[in-house]
Amino acid sequence: MEQWLEWARGPVFRACFAIMLLGLARAVVLNTASVVSLIYDSRKKGRAVSWGPVVTATLQWMFPVKKGFQARAVFSFTSMLFHVSIILTPIFLGAHILLWERGLGIRWPALGSVAADYLTLLAILTGAALLAQRAGASASRAISRPQDYFLPLLIIAPFVSGYLAMHPNLNPFGYNGTMFVHVMAGNLIFLLIPFTKMSHVALFPGTQLISDLGWNLKMGGGQQVAIALGKENEPI
Amino acid sequence: MKADQKLSYQVEPFRTEDRPRRYLEAFAAILKHSNYGPVLDFYTRVAAKCSRCTAACQVYQASGDPRDIPCHRSELLLRVYRRYFTLAGELKARLYDPFVLSDEYIDEMAEEYWRCTACKRCKSTCPMGIDHAMITHLARWILAEIDIVPKAMLVSVREQLEGKTKNTSAIPAIAMKDTCEFLSEEIEEEYPGAGVKFPMDVEGAEYVFFPAVSDYLMEAETLMGNAAMLHVTHTSWTIGTTNFDGINYGLFYSDRMWERIIKAQVAEIKRLRGRKMLIGECGHATRAAVEGMQNFIPPEDRVPVVHIMQLAYEKFLSGELRLRKNAIKERTTYHDPCNIVRKGWIIEQPRTILRHICEDFVEMTPRGMDNYCCGGGGGTVSLDEIHDFRMAIAGKTKAEQLRRTGAYYVVTPCANCKKQTDEIIAAHGLNMQKVGLHDLVLKAIEFEPTGSGGG
Repeated sequence: MEQWLEWARGPVFRACFAIMLLGLARAVVLNTASVVSLIYDSRKKGRAVSWGPVVTATLQWMFPVKKGFQARAVFSFTSMLFHVSIILTPIFLGAHILLWERGLGIRWPALGSVAADYLTLLAILTGAALLAQRAGASASRAISRPQDYFLPLLIIAPFVSGYLAMHPNLNPFGYNGTMFVHVMAGNLIFLLIPFTKMSHVALFPGTQLISDLGWNLKMGGGQQVAIALGKENEPI
Repeated sequence: MKADQKLSYQVEPFRTEDRPRRYLEAFAAILKHSNYGPVLDFYTRVAAKCSRCTAACQVYQASGDPRDIPCHRSELLLRVYRRYFTLAGELKARLYDPFVLSDEYIDEMAEEYWRCTACKRCKSTCPMGIDHAMITHLARWILAEIDIVPKAMLVSVREQLEGKTKNTSAIPAIAMKDTCEFLSEEIEEEYPGAGVKFPMDVEGAEYVFFPAVSDYLMEAETLMGNAAMLHVTHTSWTIGTTNFDGINYGLFYSDRMWERIIKAQVAEIKRLRGRKMLIGECGHATRAAVEGMQNFIPPEDRVPVVHIMQLAYEKFLSGELRLRKNAIKERTTYHDPCNIVRKGWIIEQPRTILRHICEDFVEMTPRGMDNYCCGGGGGTVSLDEIHDFRMAIAGKTKAEQLRRTGAYYVVTPCANCKKQTDEIIAAHGLNMQKVGLHDLVLKAIEFEPTGSGGG
């Protein structure tokens, strides 16, 4: 099992992390290119981009203290806590920082073990609560895809396994097996980030802007559509 | 050729053969000649399906029907985009995704996208900023290119662009002139010596006036108030007799028509050598003109677009428009039309005037940028055949809002909102009266100089 664990931590992790970085880079580069092109086009024809509302909305959603309570407050609050815990815990966990230091020689301040424990439990509880709220509300059920149920489960998997690995007295399974699940679940998350809604980890800052730029309508575009469809001489 | 009986709104007969292929061709052509592609690409990647939009949409709140959830509706189009216009969709289709665009699916889109009032209220509750109204707008354009468009929209636009009268209500210019002369006489009868006129085809005027043309038929008080305000403030303005309709239904269903209509309106301003475009009390006409001017008119031909409430507000602040304080005794409330409020364009201007002229002005809750749509937005108010839907579902929240104010007057400065509000008042048995801002301005206006400033 130890060899399997090394395999998961080594080549599999590197491959998954590289796919995530490349996938996100592709999405960011392509979408940024589109955004820049639309901004340029807007400026060229003198259409004002609503920078004020766009930046305000982006920041309001990045730190949704106010926005988060305007609609479905309980769900939104749960989601906010979920995001805080799943972002902070893996990045600032001492054991993870140690791995980065071993691999790349870089380190940064770590969370205390008690704080990390509480944040881990928070991630598990809020993830489960999000899932329950999704399954329990008919409106949410109606618009949910399989990935909307699968991803929260996948995301809390490394938190559950990580917590058990760090608390042997609570863990009914062996350490190496638990860690293998922990690492592989994390790897799968990295792998899926560019191909699922989790891509918002990189695309989120551009979402409000793209919605504004979408109303940058193309001068003469309608006539071009008519020509393409052979309707340019058709009466209405 | 046959009209599809499955739809809840009337359509002219359209070709039914090979619709999925023609739909995809239209979609592809629009993606190629518009800027919607990058937006759809973003949306398909990040849509979180959090269902927060359910708390914002008055249609879903009233119907409880999952098909009215904004995110559900948008997914109809995003699914087609993902399947046919992305590499991932192509791969998934080869591996496991059985989705194929069918006639039934097109019918479903044709129905659902005309149950949205395109009010944009849901956008502010979406963490990903998804503009479901934009998706509705695009989806309707694609449908229109395969000739699925409500007959009421189509017939109006046809008359406006290719008919004899060049306006959506098919009012001949001579009839419009007669109406204006009659309205001048009405004002004179009510306010002797006022001398209010409706100037026609005056070359070089500062403002060329484009109210919603339906005002000439149904909103005489608003038009009289418009003319009186412009008269007492010595504003240089005119009505063009070859194009006097501010309505632009292109905003509701087709960028192609939107561009043609705004170009025709600007051509009229150029013919008269006017300097600014003055829009009457109409929300969609204002947005269609402001955004249409920026998008479809070359910079050298553009003119500033001014909403008549903005102008009245400026004239009031400058003291040129003198209004009697507390002239309106009845309790009055104000409805924010979505197309002028959602981006924060016009919120306080009419309220400043109303607080001055109304003894008992009350707000509805929520108000301003968070206000609920009247339930007739996005062109749905023009579809008489969905009256029951507009009253029982789309307009239910607005009816409750209105009732809670206890107001006698509800000021609704928009032609679409006016029609819908009138119908809501009747259908829900509300004891109130719908008016335009200028209906009340007319009651409060001081025609004789008194030396007291308004602002």
